[in-house]
Amino acid sequence: MSKKRFCWMTVIFILAAGPAAAKQNLSVWLGYGETLPAFEMVKEKFEKKYPDIKVEILTFSLRDFEAKLASAMPTGAGPDLLALHDFLFPRYYDNGYLEPLPPEFAAIANDPTKMNPTYTAIVTREGQAYGMPYWTGRSTLFYNLDYFQEAGLTRPPDTVDELWQYAEKLVKKDTDGNIERAGITMRLTGPSGGIQKFGYLYYQMAGEQIFELGQKPGTVRVTLKDNMDVAVQALLDRINHLHGDRKVDDWTLKHDAQGFASGVAAMLLRETWAIAFIKKNGPNINFNTAPMPKGKVRGAFNYIEILSVSTQSKLKSQTWEFIAMLQEQEVLNTLLTTSGYSPLRKDRDFSWFLKDHPRYKAVMEDIADYNQYLEPPNIAYEEMTTRVGEVLQAAYRDGALADNPEGCKKVILKMQEVAEDILEDNGILSE
Amino acid sequence: MLSHPASRLARLYSKFRQHNGFWILVALGPVYFLFAVIRIYPILETIRLSFFRYHITKKKNPFIGLRNYERLLSDDAFHAALINTIQFTIMAVLITLFLALLIAILLRSIEPVSPIFEIIFYIPVVTPWVPASVIWKWLYDPMYGLINYAISLFGIPKQGWLQEPNLIIYAIVVVAVWKMLGYYIIVFSVGLKNIPTTYLEAAEVDGASPLERLRYIILPLLRPIILFAVVMSTIQFFNVFAPVYVLTASAQGAPAYDLKVVVTEIYRNGFQYYRMGYAGAQSVVLLVFVMMMITLQFMVFRKEH
Repeated sequence: MSKKRFCWMTVIFILAAGPAAAKQNLSVWLGYGETLPAFEMVKEKFEKKYPDIKVEILTFSLRDFEAKLASAMPTGAGPDLLALHDFLFPRYYDNGYLEPLPPEFAAIANDPTKMNPTYTAIVTREGQAYGMPYWTGRSTLFYNLDYFQEAGLTRPPDTVDELWQYAEKLVKKDTDGNIERAGITMRLTGPSGGIQKFGYLYYQMAGEQIFELGQKPGTVRVTLKDNMDVAVQALLDRINHLHGDRKVDDWTLKHDAQGFASGVAAMLLRETWAIAFIKKNGPNINFNTAPMPKGKVRGAFNYIEILSVSTQSKLKSQTWEFIAMLQEQEVLNTLLTTSGYSPLRKDRDFSWFLKDHPRYKAVMEDIADYNQYLEPPNIAYEEMTTRVGEVLQAAYRDGALADNPEGCKKVILKMQEVAEDILEDNGILSE
Repeated sequence: MLSHPASRLARLYSKFRQHNGFWILVALGPVYFLFAVIRIYPILETIRLSFFRYHITKKKNPFIGLRNYERLLSDDAFHAALINTIQFTIMAVLITLFLALLIAILLRSIEPVSPIFEIIFYIPVVTPWVPASVIWKWLYDPMYGLINYAISLFGIPKQGWLQEPNLIIYAIVVVAVWKMLGYYIIVFSVGLKNIPTTYLEAAEVDGASPLERLRYIILPLLRPIILFAVVMSTIQFFNVFAPVYVLTASAQGAPAYDLKVVVTEIYRNGFQYYRMGYAGAQSVVLLVFVMMMITLQFMVFRKEH
């Protein structure tokens, strides 16, 4: 055989054989890397069943995940399986990137014995669900048992008023009056998180969230003006406890879950994931959790992860099968034990977990009259919460607002105005 | 006989050949092409996008004329960012260049060992912005930071360097000056070395004091170098992003005040809210602003000249 002919035959062989030998890729992108072990578990099982499909799981920080997904989906380069945070959901639903749930999944999602309807409502438009709610992070009260004992407190606060009274008893100051330990660590920086945490107590006091679903799907109503007295009181509660004699927290302290885990805060309002975080970063902290303190109502904020299939996927049925595998009891057990997020399937049994980890009771057990609520997903969520949060956090620093309801009223009106302006600009302000 | 346009074309072609046009095209064409693709096209595309309500995940992105620019006029966050950026730039440029010139002059008086100091001052310049900012975030930590520990030795109470709205801008100016000082020391050193010593010696013989020599000989002869330094540092500091992004990022145990500057606002609108059209309008304003400042600086220096 001549050299030339050999070369030609090699090229033809490579061209003909190459594509046939390649495996198909099923890609999964995650913004919560801590849930990876559950996905890895399914990957192994799935690849055994489908040897021609390679599952590729990529994890990113949440912000990177959002940015990468937003730029990849319009160009058709996104993943097959989208694991979406509830506030990201409308961005992809509204633009036709999500497949409707197949009947067998819809049957589960629409069965109240298997899935809380609150979660199904978030993924449903015009009677059709577009994703499978998977896990939730739920707000709860964290309290340091040693500090409570030191202050002579024998039980967690049950009401919002009691929460502030407890904070005043638990704060520790040095001889110069500087705070060494916060009575409660508030969210004083990071505006979008700040408005969310302000909303935790506002919800209990007002009986509704700051941002509620509008009459038309996808639209949002701002409730601050409707609940002006409550909103002013909620703001006064915070400002009065950031300035003057009743001060229970300070900007220079470590904050949030890190502050609680470092022992510089006696109480914290945070979501489920903080349990594992505090155990890891503050192994000597003796703490417990309790349901959110009540006001007019008692309710816990939830943020959920939703599993959806991209309309651009070439492996739609296989991706749904992957999602089905993620619902199996042993996978959900792994999800719960490794990430701390609570799986949403009500027809699965996690009583064994609560026996071993009683701190999760407050975030997993269904208690009578304990509302579970989610923020209304909308396309302007990030911008609106950030901008409104900026107004709120500037007010926190203003000592002149302490015991000043009229001043606080102006702040609340400004928050309402900023939120409505952004919603209107995005065309989703409820009439 | 050739028609008139054809003959002009022939003449052009002959000139093109005469001046080795083909080889010039081959040599510079790819560079110009890359420049156009990487530099010119994005600028033009940004200007175009600024007239649209452009959201990257949306399929419909309508033309809205000047509405993005109109919105800028009532955007408090952008106004705050613009004011902060101007304040930051003025402070960072003045402090950096003043210190750099002072140190460069002092280094000339210890000529034999000056390269050692130049290297030491230059180390922060080659340190990437992000790790450098992370180091400073630790130094500024209100509870465990070295700076608060150092000032506590003198009885000064702990400060929230990154938490206090009134302090954070100065904290970031310090980081920026520390980072860029070495570069401008080298720039001024090169300029100073190029001043003929005979001028300075003659002035000394005539009885000129060191300050007079600085004012009447060194500064006038350094004018082109100072212009370069002012223009470059203005552009660099006006576009500040990484130290602000890192030092103001509010994380678990490291809360920080959200100081706004123009580029972080552009980033936030573009990559967090996905309002690319609006971020485009902000970018155009930034471009115009920087161009105006540079033009003004050129005019001032030329006028004095």
